Amino acid sequence: MKFRFLLLALLFVGSSSVLHAEPYLAVQQGLKCNVCHVNPTGGGMRNAFGEVWGQTQLPAERVDTGEPWTGEINRFLAIGGNLRATASETDVPHQDNASSFDTDELRVYLEVRAIPDRLSVYVDQKLAPGGSENQEAYGKLWFDNQRFYVKAGQMYLPYGLRLQDDTAFIRQVSGINFTTPDRGVETGLEIGPWSAQLAVSNGTGGGSEIDNGKRYSVRVEHVQSVWRAGASFNFNDADAGQRQMQNVFAGIRTGPISWLAEADYIIDKSFAPNERKQAVGLIEANWLIRKGNNLKLTAEYFDPDRDVSEDQQNRYSIVYEYTPLQFVQFRIGARVYDGIPQNDLQNRKFFFAQLNGYF
Amino acid sequence: MTRNFRCVVFALTAVLAGCAGNGEGLDSNGRPLSGNASSGDGGLHPTLKSIQDNVFTPICTQCHLGAAAPRGLRLDEASAFAMLVNAPSSEVPSLNRVTPGDPDSSYIIQKLEGRAAVGGQMPLGQPPLPQATIDTIKQWIQNGAAQSVAPAKVDVTPMQVHAVAPPPGENLDSTREILLQADGTLNLATLNDASVSLVRSGGDGTFNDGNEVNLGAVHVEARSLDPTVLALKLDGAALVPDSYRLELSGSGAQAVRDSSGLAIGGFVLQFTVGATL
Repeated sequence: MKFRFLLLALLFVGSSSVLHAEPYLAVQQGLKCNVCHVNPTGGGMRNAFGEVWGQTQLPAERVDTGEPWTGEINRFLAIGGNLRATASETDVPHQDNASSFDTDELRVYLEVRAIPDRLSVYVDQKLAPGGSENQEAYGKLWFDNQRFYVKAGQMYLPYGLRLQDDTAFIRQVSGINFTTPDRGVETGLEIGPWSAQLAVSNGTGGGSEIDNGKRYSVRVEHVQSVWRAGASFNFNDADAGQRQMQNVFAGIRTGPISWLAEADYIIDKSFAPNERKQAVGLIEANWLIRKGNNLKLTAEYFDPDRDVSEDQQNRYSIVYEYTPLQFVQFRIGARVYDGIPQNDLQNRKFFFAQLNGYF
Repeated sequence: MTRNFRCVVFALTAVLAGCAGNGEGLDSNGRPLSGNASSGDGGLHPTLKSIQDNVFTPICTQCHLGAAAPRGLRLDEASAFAMLVNAPSSEVPSLNRVTPGDPDSSYIIQKLEGRAAVGGQMPLGQPPLPQATIDTIKQWIQNGAAQSVAPAKVDVTPMQVHAVAPPPGENLDSTREILLQADGTLNLATLNDASVSLVRSGGDGTFNDGNEVNLGAVHVEARSLDPTVLALKLDGAALVPDSYRLELSGSGAQAVRDSSGLAIGGFVLQFTVGATL
């Protein structure tokens, strides 16, 4: 018992992070992303299976409402949404603490199925914070009994683990996250345990295209019931300089614990005068204590320049997720950033309580 | 359950152990110390240098850096001025990111204060900047949004002009806008058809062999005066796939000159349109 509290205290004090990553649910269930999500690469709107699972299997208790909500208005139209509201306190060394209430995001999803299971148009619109902002808007066409697809428009690029937390090092440093959709074309296959995507996009991080260079993204994943492994490659031929990223990622379930891991290596030639090599990593454990109760522990690593010594940063998190009823989840947690001592922001602590509504 | 818990804690604490750098030999932004390193340790003042050291570099460049910069907005020291001042925002193109003398309509202020028409408050995922910090940035804009005050030049070294976007050799499309920045103030009256030339190679990818095609006048827009930032808008219809050379003359009667009348050091930027030759 003493050992347990000692290690827990050590982890809590010397670490942190907020993370509300969802890929662990796929690892926990041994399912591919497209089983629960409209988007084959995960994230965003849930399909009918995902909606029902989120109401019956995720929460500690399901209030009987009769038929579960599936998001489907009819065969041709489905809707969904997410709301994340947070109360937080940030502790930056040598500064007064800052606390605030924020609406992290309010999103609505819409899928119009012109030909059900074959041809659809998908929209992900962020209504808050700030003004309305389109995140994804694409058309998708399935072939060969939903084994192959092509989609075109504005979309999130396929790369690594699609964590919900955009501030996770692996998502922030890669620049591929829920704040940076790109415009282009993606084709993918979903065959047995294999899932693969190839995308060509502008590579402007959501901005207007300004050059001829394009961004190429490749992601391959093999999914088994208790483990999965994959790799991604991304090359952006941008005005500012070429940027090449590659990663390997994996997940495994050991009893009640679902593990996620990703390691990235980045070569960026946009840093004058020399290229910069960066390394980023994440390990996350999700302990399903009992139905509706998940303890998430995360450790992250970021080396912003492999040619510079003693500049590495860590981030640790401990987050408790409680889903009492369908459609609502509470999160409470802490992040601790651990960086070079002369940079206060790299040593901040972040504490939060969050409400996540989903439908 | 206890065994599982210990397993998790052991694995994560193993990763935790001793990974963060001790910062030895680095400035506050994690870069190696050098004679002219930006320490970022000074107080915040309404100058771009101070804002760069205290805000842009330590906070904004966590995302707005390099080829992965969101919205293509790079806020590193070499790019920030040209990317901000009189540059249209990509989210609301009718507003400049920074309009000198008008902080309230400068999009960067709207984003920092969380009242922009599009998207979330900056910095994303972090606490908002203290109002005092935003007020300092507003003061810099109100004062004219000049690049950092440089010591008075007493030498006669020719002024240099640099390509901010794109870097030399990049492949451009027909909508391309080229951003150039001078080390100081250029005499805009010396920018004319004779001193600014744009030629294409004639299809062979080489220059100076007699078959080059002169494309005539280039539309030059001054985004800033001190230092001078020039946006060159190229006529898309005239840009066929080929290698191109943009030149600002640095000698002779038609040289581009700085505000003191000295000819610049000369500037040449080669780029391609379409397939690389």
